Amino acid sequence: MKNRLRVLRAELDWSQAELAERLGVSRQTVNAIETGKYDPSLPLAFSLARTFNRKIEEIFEAELVRR
Amino acid sequence: MSEQHPDPDQTESPAEPLYTHPASPFVHTDTSAPAHVDMPALPPAPSTWVIYRTQIEFGLAMLAYLMVLVGSITVLQANPNASWRYVIAVLPVVPAALALSIFVRALARLDELQKRIQMMAFGFSLGATALVTFGYGFLEGVGLPHLSWTFVLPLMAILWGVGTAIFTLRYR
Repeated sequence: MKNRLRVLRAELDWSQAELAERLGVSRQTVNAIETGKYDPSLPLAFSLARTFNRKIEEIFEAELVRR
Repeated sequence: MSEQHPDPDQTESPAEPLYTHPASPFVHTDTSAPAHVDMPALPPAPSTWVIYRTQIEFGLAMLAYLMVLVGSITVLQANPNASWRYVIAVLPVVPAALALSIFVRALARLDELQKRIQMMAFGFSLGATALVTFGYGFLEGVGLPHLSWTFVLPLMAILWGVGTAIFTLRYR
């Protein structure tokens, strides 16, 4: 799944570690989500949306191609 | 000389520093962003120290297991017919149970991606251990020396470590 996490994070000048701490996950998980290697669970996606004060679909974009 | 802040409220609001500059390339195009909603926070991620402490505790428990195991085997070899041999023989299970409890607590603290990585590593470890033990079992059938069952757990632990490394790299 594509996402704008890196851009949103850069706008607030947060490091991956800082975002990870706010989300209560590891930095590895933030990195994996950013690079599109891991799709977060719904609770974590909502938590991300809440952290950036945006809607989930403003952060994530579903890829319609079957992987 | 101390610096004077004309407007403390403005200097203390870190929310969107990039939007505050008139020349900022970041422009709000969406005014329909949802209002902030207070929701219960996720539990905090364990600090590095908690992770290291868990690894140290687990390592010590495994060391205790190996020491008790070797001690138990030594005592049993010296007293093969003692009436208390069953108690001594089963003694290594105690430190192993300690390691298990440390391990389960550590698993519960992992976040969702780490849990996924661990699940795949366990699957790999289980399958690979089955391959190795069955393979060696077949070789025992044609004359290789018999190995103790107690080799199975260390083998599984090593393969679990290998699996964790493999699947961690996959998400890097």
